[in-house]
Amino acid sequence: MLKPLVDDISETTVSRRRVLGGALFWASCGIVVAILGVIGGGVLRFLYPRALYEASKIFKVGSPESYKIGSVNLVTGRGVWIVREQEGFYAILAKCTHLGCQPIWYEDQQVFKCPCHGSRFHKDGVNFAGPAPRPLDRLYLSLASDGRLEVDKGKDVGLDYKLKV
Amino acid sequence: MNDKTELKERLRLLTVIREEALLRQRDIYPREEKVDTWPNLVVKELIALLIFTIVLVVWALVQDAPLEELANPGLTPREAKAPWYFVGLQELLVYFDPWMAGVVLPTVILVGLALVPYLDPDPIKGVGRYAIGKRKFAAFCFIFGFTMWFVLVVVGQYFRGPGWNFYLPWESLDSPKEVEVALTNFPLAAGIAFLACYYILGLGIPAVTFQNFFWRLGLIRYHITMILLMTMMLVPVKILLRQVFHIRYIVETPWFNI
Amino acid sequence: MNIFVQMWRSLFRTGVTDSPVHRVFRVVVNFILHLHPARVSKNGIKITYTFCLGGLSVLFFVMTALTGGLLMIYYTPDVDKAYANMLDLENVIPFGMFLRNLHRFAAHAMVISVSLHMLRVFLTASYKSPREFNWVIGVGLLLMTFLLSFTGYLLPWDQLSYWAVTVGTTMAENTPIVGTKGPFSVLGPEEDMRFILLGGTSIDQPTLIRFYFAHCIGLPGALVGLMALHFWRVRKAGGISRPL
Ligand code: HEM
Ligand code: FES
Repeated sequence: MLKPLVDDISETTVSRRRVLGGALFWASCGIVVAILGVIGGGVLRFLYPRALYEASKIFKVGSPESYKIGSVNLVTGRGVWIVREQEGFYAILAKCTHLGCQPIWYEDQQVFKCPCHGSRFHKDGVNFAGPAPRPLDRLYLSLASDGRLEVDKGKDVGLDYKLKV
Repeated sequence: MNDKTELKERLRLLTVIREEALLRQRDIYPREEKVDTWPNLVVKELIALLIFTIVLVVWALVQDAPLEELANPGLTPREAKAPWYFVGLQELLVYFDPWMAGVVLPTVILVGLALVPYLDPDPIKGVGRYAIGKRKFAAFCFIFGFTMWFVLVVVGQYFRGPGWNFYLPWESLDSPKEVEVALTNFPLAAGIAFLACYYILGLGIPAVTFQNFFWRLGLIRYHITMILLMTMMLVPVKILLRQVFHIRYIVETPWFNI
Repeated sequence: MNIFVQMWRSLFRTGVTDSPVHRVFRVVVNFILHLHPARVSKNGIKITYTFCLGGLSVLFFVMTALTGGLLMIYYTPDVDKAYANMLDLENVIPFGMFLRNLHRFAAHAMVISVSLHMLRVFLTASYKSPREFNWVIGVGLLLMTFLLSFTGYLLPWDQLSYWAVTVGTTMAENTPIVGTKGPFSVLGPEEDMRFILLGGTSIDQPTLIRFYFAHCIGLPGALVGLMALHFWRVRKAGGISRPL
């Protein structure tokens, strides 16, 4: 005969204790998970500052007359090309759609080539060779009040966009 | 609590303890031969430590770590190579879109590696010695993947020049290469059919031909193992399709390409 | 007691006497050696069994940590200074170049030895019960090793680092769902995976600081923690694997 570990206690007391104990246990588990969640969420949020000290996404470039028809002009420091065609202007983001290297414009062959993995793009930014999956981003371009062109790097406007001046 | 439940409880405790004991010493080893750590092991460690410290010090004396010009966001250098241990992934970028080569495949590799001990159905075969002949399938999968990683590293590191074009190691990197091959895609339906067949046949045929293998692994293990294996094999398959048949994408959709 | 003997004893707690008991004692009371059991199986210490690869991974890690700590004295994680600091290390600071080389090459060696260690563990089927979870911890260690190398690569702030990290973090941008350019993307460029890594939308000062933190504090801390678990698990599994 085994010696009982606890003295004889009525079944109801035990089961009540069990239920209460179980409830407490799961409640504390819930609280621990909640605290971890709050800490995790807080850390994640911490990684997103409310303000960025980056160069403005909207900036002005030259006046329309300063670009020759048919020319591709790199705005240094901004990573944007201003292209002028017969029908109008467009701005292309100088960032390869493959992995972000800056392609180089070859005037003689009239192509953009990316030095990283060899993607090629036509003058209008459409990819035709190499691993780039999409055409280069075309950016919103407008005429500012002082008569200069204004680029918005935050807006990708699609391949049909052209600014007629 | 009545006697019966308590007895059960005590027995349960006992089994837990026993299992734990077994877990530690579960390899009910034939009385193994032991030797003193000091000096037998300690001496070997000391020697290894000395040799490799000297090797590294000499290496650091004779060669200098590279440093190029100051970072310039406006000018991509002719070659933008990752550190060598990532060049294998970079080489995959030639064949897969970035989301596959840079995110999905590495994740599959890590998850697959972590699952290895749970996918191997045999608890004892080959433990404690180099006996890969007894574990042919497991050894094949692992060595294949391991080798492929390093082959890709070597190709990327020594056989790729400007524009990620193929250069032999002794070729001058200044001679421009204009390898323009027109690449085609599978038509959408054909591509999906190809991928579906690839996985269905890849999972189905071994299940039928090696029924022992299938039942030993069980349904879940079998499927996870074979999906991982077929995904690994997708890499050489895609390389082959690209190099021999000039296929760019197997499946091309507006949202993603494979 | 002779004063020098007393000093020795207080330091190492054992004399120079050699006997089986002393041998055991010497291992058990020494902080570093107590990572080992007092007696080990004969199979486990054969060079051709482990090739000492786990131990060498530790050695290379300790080397990178020591040299890295020294490099930190002269390195400022500031985009205007970092590159100049590297030049200083090369030209102005005695043994600066040597330390930099050692740090870099020990990191290479660590990647190699960790990979080969994984290979040997696989080939000897040492991931099988009861060591399954230690293998999983090992995969974590492998990942940490790679991430350490990746984050360290940006710190010199030269062309190589800048563009390698451009390529690396653009992949994060292409993550399905949580990358802004990936398939089925749901997040904008200022919310996605890449933003967390860069601390902005381009590689700049916030990126350098984030990588610096990860490289010098976050990842080494995680690695040390995982390593402690790893070794403890090796012991609890009854030492390293041997034939059944
Ligand atoms: C920073 C990286 C690592 C360090 C410092 C390390 C260190 C060690 C050491 C010192 C041992 C003792 C036996 C030996 O030297 O071979 C060991 C054993 C082990 N390691 Fe690692 N390791 C690392 C990474 C890994 C990786 C990447 C894996 C696998 C994915 C792994 C899985 C194991 C397993 C399963 C054992 C037990 C082996 C046995 O019992 O025979 N470790 N590790
Ligand atoms: S980044 Fe342009 S081709 Fe890869």
